[in-house]
Amino acid sequence: MDPRARILLVLFAGLLGLALERPLALLIFALAMALPFMGLSINKRELARAGLALLSVIWGTVLSQALFYSAEPRTPLFVLGPVVFWREGVLWGLAQSLRLVGLLLVGLALVRSTPVDRLYLALVRLRLPFAVALMAATALRFLPVIGEELRLVRAARAARGRPIWARSPLAWVRLELRLLAPVVARSWRRASALAESLDARGFDPVGPRGTLRPLVWRWTDSLLLVLSGTLTAAIVLARLLYLLYTSEALYIPALRPLYAAVRAWM
Amino acid sequence: MIRARGLGYRFPGADHLAVQDVDLQLQAGELCLLTGPTGCGKSTLLRLLAGLLQRHGSGEVQGEASVAGVDPGRTPPSERVRRLGFVGQEPSDQLIAGSLEDEVAFAMESAGIPAERMRARVPELLRRVGLELDLGRDPRTLSGGQCQRLVVAAALSAGAPVLLLDEPLAMLDPLGARELIARLRQLADEGTAVLMVEHRVAACWEAADRVLVMAEGRLVGQATRAELRPDHAVIGTLAALGIRPPGAAALDPIPTPSPPDGVLRSFPELSWRYPGAARPALAPLSLELRAGERLAVCGPNGSGKSTLLHRLAATADPGIVAVPQDPDLSLFCSSVWEELAYGPQERRSGEVERTVRRVARALSIEELLDRAPQALSRGQRLRVAVAAALACGPRVLLLDEPTAGQDHDQVEAMMTALTEELREGALVFATHDLELARRFGNRALRLRDGLCEQRGTPDEVLSGSPRAGEPG
Repeated sequence: MDPRARILLVLFAGLLGLALERPLALLIFALAMALPFMGLSINKRELARAGLALLSVIWGTVLSQALFYSAEPRTPLFVLGPVVFWREGVLWGLAQSLRLVGLLLVGLALVRSTPVDRLYLALVRLRLPFAVALMAATALRFLPVIGEELRLVRAARAARGRPIWARSPLAWVRLELRLLAPVVARSWRRASALAESLDARGFDPVGPRGTLRPLVWRWTDSLLLVLSGTLTAAIVLARLLYLLYTSEALYIPALRPLYAAVRAWM
Repeated sequence: MIRARGLGYRFPGADHLAVQDVDLQLQAGELCLLTGPTGCGKSTLLRLLAGLLQRHGSGEVQGEASVAGVDPGRTPPSERVRRLGFVGQEPSDQLIAGSLEDEVAFAMESAGIPAERMRARVPELLRRVGLELDLGRDPRTLSGGQCQRLVVAAALSAGAPVLLLDEPLAMLDPLGARELIARLRQLADEGTAVLMVEHRVAACWEAADRVLVMAEGRLVGQATRAELRPDHAVIGTLAALGIRPPGAAALDPIPTPSPPDGVLRSFPELSWRYPGAARPALAPLSLELRAGERLAVCGPNGSGKSTLLHRLAATADPGIVAVPQDPDLSLFCSSVWEELAYGPQERRSGEVERTVRRVARALSIEELLDRAPQALSRGQRLRVAVAAALACGPRVLLLDEPTAGQDHDQVEAMMTALTEELREGALVFATHDLELARRFGNRALRLRDGLCEQRGTPDEVLSGSPRAGEPG
């Protein structure tokens, strides 16, 4: 699939995620967004790591909303001494986290399945300013490198000092923040080297540029975009009409079945 | 092909010129070696000739430069890339694309070369630098030596008749260095003008048509190959600058203060296999380290030297401290003093100040104690990282490629200090510099493809090496 089509699909997924509010709809959304991610060849270790990260996102959001949900009406789910867990908070937290998880999964699938230089070319062809496209593509390319460097700095620090658990949480946070200094300095040097390398190899942001492998747009890309674009537009339009109705700005009696469907399912 | 007249550069805020009054001419087909002590302005001169400082720097440029008939500082990148290729230090930081094919084609894309020609040229260029691998392979999976060859191919792809290289041998083993030099000689014979900055003088001496020597921003000596005799003035200049000229007698091994005795640490089985890898990066290996031991770990690029050091560091033994290949990754404090004091403070040592002063003196960094580590030169940062590790009072110190980017005198001073400081501990250093291994090691171990090929005294191990005797 052409990388431009992939980027537009992710954009549609973003709009869809924003338009949905019911936990069930968002669960279906998150599961649908997980399909392209599951289609990638990812080793078990990475998959387990991603699963753990997503579960912690869901758990953290649900727990915080269950504890601190303040809108009315609210119903106690269970009570532990002075701490109340609110049912509506759990549902609200679930909805928010599923939305986030769905968007994260589809974003990850795009980044993992598209080489960074193709992504850059696609962003430029989609008329994104070159500086933004280059920054986005370069940031994506170096994320794993920076992660590895952070691990090395932490290991070097550990070799010279006490274990991390042998200090107070505040000292731990302070030390972790200090670790960013070498990584930022290293990134700065790398960015300078990369800028010189781009310049030395003739990269000109405003000049014409050839390409070894031009992007190829196929009819299947068009078909997929038309189908997903129509579905997204329909759901977003339905949500907008529902919002106009609930805010008493516009009420069309003929749309009562649509209002009911949005309330029940979306 | 390259002409410079009165070329100079002052970095913003500096009170002296980093490069001054450089007059230089280089013909097509000439391979020229530019050498000099660390920090003398070699890389700055190269970046001036490439037009990079004129475009990216905000300092003051003096004089004029012409490369392949154009002023590199005023020529648009897409035109300049057809005239000159530039390869900076740290090849891995210069990788742009996600595959070998795209990496090599990048400069051709900039020059607007048709796709058909690019497709035909990419494999040819990779073949010329001896890198016949899968075109779709991710450049980040290459070894240091392969990476270096890739960036050379990428720099040449738009057909530039001039090639400027900054320390291309820094991370290469002797065989890799010899192969790359042979490729560069071949390029020069085909008409490319090659100007190469390098500390490893001996490795390039035979191939170079001319040698330029730089000190304190100026060219202080030069000689053509025909002129180069042991009594030539350039040889004396090199020696005076602390650069060992080729043919100089090998330095004697540093004697061990007392014979290695008493096992400090014992590792019955060290091994490592990357997830999904077909073969281990390090096959099971047992190791015993004794007090006073200086173990040189040798072997070609990708043989498992760094992996062995990583496995030793990963034992989480507080007596083992490692200095990584990239010293920046071990510096996280805001001043050199704090950096050196961190270890003793963490270990609740009551002699923090005395320890800091002692290791700073040993590594000749006393005058840097108030400076920020990240603002120092690469050689200084390495010495700070080594001093910080020493301040922890390690029983075993691990050092990965201590010669990269360092001139001979700096390496000599640092290793001598370590020998003194670690009289009762052990030093394990990975290196591709065979002379360093001979001079400072009292035991050696040679790895190949993750397997320990041989171990024994440096002479035994290195004389058994198929590449023994090659200049490092």
